[in-house]
Amino acid sequence: MDAGAKNNFLLHPFPASGVSLQCGFIPAGMHLRLDERMAAVATAETEYAQHSIDAAGENGLALATDLSTDLEAALGACASGDRTALRRIFDAESGRLVAVAQRIVRRRDLAEEVVQEAFLRIWTHAHQYRPDRGSARGWIYAIVRNRALNLLRDGKREDLPGDERLETLQDSDQLEQIMAAWQTLDRHSRLRECLGSLDDIKRRGILMAYVGGYTHGEIAGRLCIPLGTAKSWIRRGLSSLRECMA
Amino acid sequence: MRIDRQDLAAIADEYVLGLLDEAEAAQVEAEMAHDAALSDAVAAARDRFLPLDTGIEPVSVSPNLWDTIAERLPDQVPQTGAQPVAPTANDNVAGGVRPGWRSMAISAMAASLILAVGLAWSVTRTVEPLVVAVLLNEAGEVQAVVEDFGNNTASVRLLTEFTVPADRTMQVWTLPSRDMGPMSLGLLEGAHSATLHSPALPKPQDTQLYEITLEQAGGSPTGRPTGPILAKGFAKLPR
Repeated sequence: MDAGAKNNFLLHPFPASGVSLQCGFIPAGMHLRLDERMAAVATAETEYAQHSIDAAGENGLALATDLSTDLEAALGACASGDRTALRRIFDAESGRLVAVAQRIVRRRDLAEEVVQEAFLRIWTHAHQYRPDRGSARGWIYAIVRNRALNLLRDGKREDLPGDERLETLQDSDQLEQIMAAWQTLDRHSRLRECLGSLDDIKRRGILMAYVGGYTHGEIAGRLCIPLGTAKSWIRRGLSSLRECMA
Repeated sequence: MRIDRQDLAAIADEYVLGLLDEAEAAQVEAEMAHDAALSDAVAAARDRFLPLDTGIEPVSVSPNLWDTIAERLPDQVPQTGAQPVAPTANDNVAGGVRPGWRSMAISAMAASLILAVGLAWSVTRTVEPLVVAVLLNEAGEVQAVVEDFGNNTASVRLLTEFTVPADRTMQVWTLPSRDMGPMSLGLLEGAHSATLHSPALPKPQDTQLYEITLEQAGGSPTGRPTGPILAKGFAKLPR
């Protein structure tokens, strides 16, 4: 268990070490039986052969491109001091950005705090966005994600009063949300298809990290596998994913 | 963590997934400023996973969230008018300027307000520093103040919490001249403020660069900064 995971205990209210860190915290749908885990090992070798070569186009691509161009232009306008441009980004994306942050930090008030800080950073750093370095949307979401992860790693929750459990997304709810992020991807999405071609356990590891902000240690705990195994499976899963989406 | 060319894509993925530890992530961010291949790999990884975020069901945000943001927005400073920042002590690109640090020139104006308070305090003491440098991080936030007394003694006051992994240490550097290159002022053991005693160095000058990097325990093995820059800034003469 690394140091980050220990801090996370404050935000993720479940045991971080010792015997109590068991698969029992994984809801029925998430729980991997031993034979399933063994099957995952067995199929790891053949994983590279499983990728579908069917590259279906994304639905709504034209719409997405328009949106992306708008965001790019808005960032440019922000850099030259146009506050209405930042407002346009807020109006277009804040509902999703708060939801993304909440999936990581689990509380709405903290998620809004994350988005608030992120918009200040978008404003002050808009001049650093380079259109040839990825999409404007990806840049904006990355700022929100980094803020949310920092809040999680800082264990800031300990400073907050009140009964957190009542207003906090429970572990099982969060794990369901995490899997839903993959299942609700567009049916023809390359990402959905490539994630689908991974072993179940590798897919879970990757989704828990990206969608839920889990550390290697937390993933190993939830999936009942040793830390080193979690790290190497996620690394191999990511490598397969890159190959599949190339 | 050395970034191997072949590992770029893997490191970019783990960075985007939030799986790197704090020091590794800081290094990736520092490297990205001048490593186009790494920046491209990170951008590609971001866009690869982005649909997992953009496909989420939007929530209705608090009605006052925008107002809170709007109230806190600083005025935008024109980037074109910014003074160029001198090359960093451990900048391996000849004459290169790291874009991430450019905003520092602007933030330094805000920092000078804090500096004024620090100076008012420091000039009332019997031993006066020859120069004072306010060190900022890449986001332009004030991290530390260095007072160099010129007698091979420098006081480093940390103004924020630094988390340093067990196998790393914070090392303070200055750049007396381009010819001399970066020189170590010493290590900050336990990431605490300290008074450092360095080997003999030239008398500190106005606008001399000071910086703090994260190095392996015991300090940089090469005698030059090798790790990510935690904070840096340029000296001012107390007046």
